[in-house]
Amino acid sequence: MSEMVGFDGPIYMTHPTKAICPILLEDYRKITVDKKGETNFFTSQMIKDCMKKVVAVNLHQTVQVDDELEIKAYYAGHVLGAAMFQIRVGLESVVYTGDYNMTPDRHLGAAWIDKCRPDVLISESTYATTIRDSKRCRERDFLKKVHETVERGGKVLIPVFALGRAQELCILLETFWDRMNLKAPIYFSTGLTEKANHYYKLFITWTNQKIRKTFVQRNMFEFKHIKAFDRSYADNPGPMVVFATPGMLHAGQSLHIFKKWASNEKNMVIMPGYCVQGTVGHKILSGQKKLEMEGRQTLEVKMQVEYMSFSAHADAKGIMQLIRMAEPRSVLLVHGEAKKMEFLKQKIEQEFSINCFMPANGETATTVTNPSVPVDIALSLLKREAALGPLPDPKKPRTMHGTLIVKDNSLRLVAPEQALKELGLSEHQLRFTCRVQIQDPQSEQDTLNTIYSHLKRSLTRSKETKNNARYSYSEGQFVLPLIHTVCDVCPVLLICFHKQSLRLVAPEQALKELGLSEHQLRFTCRVQIQDPQSEQDTLNTIYSHLKSALTGREGDLTPNVIRSLSQVFKAVTAGKSTRTCRNERRPFSPSRLIQL
Amino acid sequence: MEHNVLNEDELDDWLIESIKLYDDLHVFELQETTQVIEWTGEKSVCVAGCKSVSRNEILELALPQRLYSKQNQGLCPERDFKVVHGGFSDRPISCLKHIRGTRILVSSGPPDSSLQLWQIGADGSDVIKPLHCIHNKEHTKNWSRIATSDSGSPCVLHGSKVKDIQVTDLESKKAVYSLDTDNTDSVSSLELLSKDEFLLCSGKGHLWLADMRQPGSLATPCTLLPQGEGLHWCMGLRNRLSESDAASSRVARLSSFGHVLVTDMRDASSPLCQAKLNLSCDSSDYNIMTVTWAPALDDCLAVSGFNGKVHIYNTKSWIPTFTEEEPLFIHKGHAIAEGPGDRSSAVVTTHVWHPWKPRTLLSAATNGSLHVWDWIDQKMES
Repeated sequence: MSEMVGFDGPIYMTHPTKAICPILLEDYRKITVDKKGETNFFTSQMIKDCMKKVVAVNLHQTVQVDDELEIKAYYAGHVLGAAMFQIRVGLESVVYTGDYNMTPDRHLGAAWIDKCRPDVLISESTYATTIRDSKRCRERDFLKKVHETVERGGKVLIPVFALGRAQELCILLETFWDRMNLKAPIYFSTGLTEKANHYYKLFITWTNQKIRKTFVQRNMFEFKHIKAFDRSYADNPGPMVVFATPGMLHAGQSLHIFKKWASNEKNMVIMPGYCVQGTVGHKILSGQKKLEMEGRQTLEVKMQVEYMSFSAHADAKGIMQLIRMAEPRSVLLVHGEAKKMEFLKQKIEQEFSINCFMPANGETATTVTNPSVPVDIALSLLKREAALGPLPDPKKPRTMHGTLIVKDNSLRLVAPEQALKELGLSEHQLRFTCRVQIQDPQSEQDTLNTIYSHLKRSLTRSKETKNNARYSYSEGQFVLPLIHTVCDVCPVLLICFHKQSLRLVAPEQALKELGLSEHQLRFTCRVQIQDPQSEQDTLNTIYSHLKSALTGREGDLTPNVIRSLSQVFKAVTAGKSTRTCRNERRPFSPSRLIQL
Repeated sequence: MEHNVLNEDELDDWLIESIKLYDDLHVFELQETTQVIEWTGEKSVCVAGCKSVSRNEILELALPQRLYSKQNQGLCPERDFKVVHGGFSDRPISCLKHIRGTRILVSSGPPDSSLQLWQIGADGSDVIKPLHCIHNKEHTKNWSRIATSDSGSPCVLHGSKVKDIQVTDLESKKAVYSLDTDNTDSVSSLELLSKDEFLLCSGKGHLWLADMRQPGSLATPCTLLPQGEGLHWCMGLRNRLSESDAASSRVARLSSFGHVLVTDMRDASSPLCQAKLNLSCDSSDYNIMTVTWAPALDDCLAVSGFNGKVHIYNTKSWIPTFTEEEPLFIHKGHAIAEGPGDRSSAVVTTHVWHPWKPRTLLSAATNGSLHVWDWIDQKMES
């Protein structure tokens, strides 16, 4: 209870719940303290203080709890005032269903939720494996029991709570009495009649238009056959039906009547709800036939005891329907044994292709959300992209080049030129050059032509065959290779790529994207050393010098390099050829060697 | 789900009427229509989807407490079925049998005559796991009828045509017996009487009593061609009393024209009694015709598969000549559907009796409904 743990934030609930809640809490409190003898329990004042924190919400009304959190209630059917809640922060949301009912009944419509697509839908799993008997059959059973008792001249006692199923049962009996033309009197204990009107008003605003119309037509809350009860009627001979409070037979009028009728086997008591331990209701439902009353008197219970459960929860079909309606990204099942939920989990996963979690108590379930970030895009950019070709579909996304500007609370995607302009920056041109020495017997011109056509072929081919979603380029992006002859002896080809975007990728990936195969480049260099030392000493000197020079540079030296160095050394000392890097995959970069 | 007021009134009418007709009535709606209801224990039944080509569910349902408690029923609030185990089948299930004493199920369904084996709740989980398939010696396009033994032997009798009937051992997956015949008539019903004898009823209505100890070609049918008309026949076997009484079994054969022949196997040459039942036919699916004997009521049998009703008859008063007989009770519930769908076209797909509650039956229909009902014998009441 909020008061006992010291919670002082708002408590959200629907209007009918707010109206009914304090009454039910007070009833519950009285029984638990008076009957069960609990001492550490909340007080009436606590109930009042708690209710002061309540904020009533309407269905489908978005309520802003704070500047980030919002909640929304959806109709859950089930009982008067029941709601399922959607809790949202930004673009992520959770729907907690609580108890709901997907099958409409006489008085309450079916639960409903829109396609709100929450990231997680939390639902109980215990009921999800239940296949429910129709409400009408339960009602039929109730009517049959009442009818049989009344037919044989017996009396029926129905202990009820002030607000709740009592009113529904009255409507049911009223309809039945009419149809069957029955004459036995039905009584409703005083106090309940006033509450009936209050209940009616709550009810009418809560149910949907259709059911409201039905009620108005049938005038269901004005009873023809049901009259107010007087204590003295309990002694009247002949059959009758009485609705009396309180619901667990623990005190008051219902207990008084029970004591009078218990010893006659023609009579019947129908308990319409759960009874707390310690109450007479609980005892007789456990099958007890002899009860100890005040003053050490024993009461023999010969009357028939029946238990009717009317509350309808969700069932196997209902949970699937709800998931279909809400379209959650994942489902979380609670309140069930993991091994006993495997089938339901598979069913949900197969039918909806979404994850289904079943965390144990205290366990955290993690779901990955994919929040979409809304970004404003400049019209010019859109137009430019549209001009490049047909618009991409979700299955074949296309990379778009632009600049994302995050300013204040807005996100904007603009063309790079515009971004530069806004930011007052000038554009830097980056040119990546690579010197490649090629030995080719052909003439200079022929070699250049060969290179050119090879490049053109392989690069344009990649565009056609790859169809790689993340890499696309058109002819316009390549600057036709500039051919510089740096020196007459060895012509150098300068290839410039005009980059529109900067992407740093691993070399393997770059090769993959460009559709090129890795060329192993081996750079050799002959160095002639004149040294008075012996061959072995010379080699040792070179080795240690190289090693210290290379290890000196942080990060440059890979284990491979060290290994190959020692390989070279070993090869040399063994008298083998001084060919470097026999199986090495990562050659030294030219710059390194030059600096050496 | 729109519920028009008129429909509600009709439902109310039937429900109020039902107070006098039934001691107990439960109405459930399954997600998928079932053509099978198979007892897997005293407190559980299996049902399975039969419509989808790709994915059907097999469910083991625990009975509501009220239906199996023998005392103090009034104190049992539970009126609902609980799905205790579930599995998925990639073919529709037309026939489902439980191997007594085990947690194994055998099923069959289109598109061929093979059998599928299932394990209920392996490793303590709630999943019905597929095990393996069994194939008939001759692979046909019709689904097989299956019969299992009461004694719990790991053998199963199956076949879709008379000539491919065989008994297969489930562990070795090998056929241990097969009928030697060329007869290509379709198999309509199979019943294992004992570990050595079985009864076979063909679609044409021929009845055979085969003894597996005497391998040989199939004898001529033990009864003459039934007199009544009918394009298709099925049979229902009355409670097997004991192994020694195999030959004294009573068999009811039902034709698609509503003709019922009751035969005592001790004298199978002529029917014990027969009747013409006045059944309106709303269905063209012969496979769902069902005739069963009540396990705890003498001489009573139930018939379904023609329309949205289940008819109960007392054969005690029936005579050997062909006469029209009236039912003892008609369960109309399925025709008055509560859910969506064309209620007038609901047809009962199957029904079974409760093993020991004398007048309790479970029935299912094409609209996905599953009913459990305990009818009142009006004649006894008055």
